[in-house]
Amino acid sequence: MKKTLVGSVAALAAASLVLVGCSSGGGSSDATTSTDAATDDTTATEDDSDGAAGSGDVSGTISFTWWGNDSRAEFYEESLALFEKAYPDVTVQTSWQAFPDYWTARNTEAAGSALPDVMQFDSAYLREYAGANRLLDLTPYIESGAIDLSGFDSGLVGAGNLSGKQVGIPTSTNTLGMFINPGVIAQTGVEFPADGYTWEDLNTFISATYAADVSNSDGYRLYGSGDYTATFWLFLQWLIQQGTEPFTDDGQLNFTQDDAKGFLGLTSELREKDEIFPVARGVALNPLGGFTMNEVSAEMSWDNFMAGYSADSGSDDLELKMIPAGPNGSDNFFRPSMLLSAGENTKNPEAAAALINFLLTDPEVGAIFGTSKGVPADADQRAAIQAEEGSIDAKVLAYEELIGSTTTSTAPIPVKGFGTIEEKWRQLGEELNYGNLSIDDFVSEWWAEAEMAVS
Amino acid sequence: MVASLYLSFTDYNLFSAPNWIGFENYARMFGDPNFRKACLVTAYYVVIGTPIKLASALAVAMLLNSARRGMGFYRSAFYLPSLIGGSVSIAIVWKAMFIDNGVVAQVIETFGGPAAASGGWVGNPNRTMPMLILLTVWQFGAPMVIFLAGLKQVPAELYEAAEVDGAGPVRKFLKITIPMLSPVLFFNLLLETIHAFQIFNSAFIISNGTGGPARSTLFYTLYLYFRGFRDFQMGYASALAWVLVVVVGLVTFVLFRTSNAWVHYSGGNK
Repeated sequence: MKKTLVGSVAALAAASLVLVGCSSGGGSSDATTSTDAATDDTTATEDDSDGAAGSGDVSGTISFTWWGNDSRAEFYEESLALFEKAYPDVTVQTSWQAFPDYWTARNTEAAGSALPDVMQFDSAYLREYAGANRLLDLTPYIESGAIDLSGFDSGLVGAGNLSGKQVGIPTSTNTLGMFINPGVIAQTGVEFPADGYTWEDLNTFISATYAADVSNSDGYRLYGSGDYTATFWLFLQWLIQQGTEPFTDDGQLNFTQDDAKGFLGLTSELREKDEIFPVARGVALNPLGGFTMNEVSAEMSWDNFMAGYSADSGSDDLELKMIPAGPNGSDNFFRPSMLLSAGENTKNPEAAAALINFLLTDPEVGAIFGTSKGVPADADQRAAIQAEEGSIDAKVLAYEELIGSTTTSTAPIPVKGFGTIEEKWRQLGEELNYGNLSIDDFVSEWWAEAEMAVS
Repeated sequence: MVASLYLSFTDYNLFSAPNWIGFENYARMFGDPNFRKACLVTAYYVVIGTPIKLASALAVAMLLNSARRGMGFYRSAFYLPSLIGGSVSIAIVWKAMFIDNGVVAQVIETFGGPAAASGGWVGNPNRTMPMLILLTVWQFGAPMVIFLAGLKQVPAELYEAAEVDGAGPVRKFLKITIPMLSPVLFFNLLLETIHAFQIFNSAFIISNGTGGPARSTLFYTLYLYFRGFRDFQMGYASALAWVLVVVVGLVTFVLFRTSNAWVHYSGGNK
């Protein structure tokens, strides 16, 4: 395997050396080459857009790629069939991967300026790609009406706007919620606190569930929750509740080491007394978890996980409740998710814009996907979802409606290197639960990593 | 290769053209806790895993080195794991065997062993390495076949002469088999050591692509991959790759140097 790795590194290196090789002179002139390349691309784009931006007659073949699973692929194929019916002169070539492989593939394509015309995008990678000028600025197509965002909340559209360029548009929104498994709660007999409860109330609930000392029929002890402090997004949510924006506008960390210690300290007593779901069991169950194995009463996660959690746990009575409240309530934010972006290198931006517009705003597409990508950002698509009472879609829609009626803040735009610092948080959280390090060790090691990754 | 050497002196991130930053990547390793951890994990695996694997291969080869009926079948049967053992599917099966209520936990309990700890072997950082070492030892087929070929080469007269002189089996093994087999032993040692440095698939699968739990399976190759393709730090990953190349080269060199002392080449002038 090492050889293969070294080989790939070398291959990539070779590709980049071609770039470097073009520029004569010393090492400092690299920038010239990439600027040249960018200029060429821009010229090409402008030539293309001399045609009729916004008019209906688009044609050609474009590529489209996404991450997901089989069911999402079916939904997309169904939607694309509708698109090709509406735009008979456009052919869409598709491909898809699972999330981690998706990014290794895109990263390699980005290095060679060979990204697909249209792709599903995640806000965690937006800064890296936009910063390197790899994503098409969609502003002209929005202004011309080729992409119709009249049914969108403007704050949501802003989530795809970096330094004045609209590099992506979110398809849907997610928000953090508290998943409850009534089946487990019935066994432990410990009621979940009513809405408006605090983080301390949550901890009390976890302790009480442990104290109930109930095991399921397989002999596994039931717990109130896992260690929620090991999830980076929950830390960001908690920061916002404390009135701290996690990141500055120019993409730097905006919180202190003491903030991090404060959050990790929330569960230190529970960890010491082993009252939270044991990390060793969680690791062994991965990619499932204590919650989906019906061994845990409550877990915080993204609300669009409802479908997956219901399927994995085999419980169709899962509920979504509010997350614990801070000083000013839950302060939930809607996280723009599943952005659609176009590669800066696209040869057919009109067709790309048409496809993006269709996927974002066509009501039939909204009905096909339901809430499997989150709640659609477009009002018409939202209205098109026919959710039966008690269905998964209905629960997610109702939850986001509830959140929308409370105080909400804007979602933080992930900083550069977000994937790295999020994973580092998870890794150190695991170590914390194994008792391998202290909170102080955690924070100093994470900080060193973050300074490297974010800068 | 040369390009990656160049990249190891840059801040290449896959997107923008690399900038020369001198030895910064190499200096960074000294302060990097994950680098230290990766080195320790890999060293543990190589130093403990390789000798056990070779010892098992030699033991089974000696058992199979007698002319009995059905030996061909056993030889194939023992060789088989080394063909499939590195695959993704075996890693998944292996993982399933070592969870709380997996096969291994049940067998241990049946024989009066302690009940499995929560999470089984997979969830306990001090058990994951033995689990991976067992997986590599189970794949002893390739060195075994080479040992077997080597054993066939040992002249029977030597054993006969030793028996006449009253040597027991242990003495014969130490004084005849080992010296006569030493070139083969050296070859296997070299091959398996280098092979052990390259572990990737099984660790990646068993840890769900995290190097966990608690970094107990954060092998050097895994760490290198994460840095290059997950964290966009291709410059740093290139530097890591080059350190690995140099270390494997050094280990090989040291093995060759010490081989003069213990490897016996019959027939030559040596």
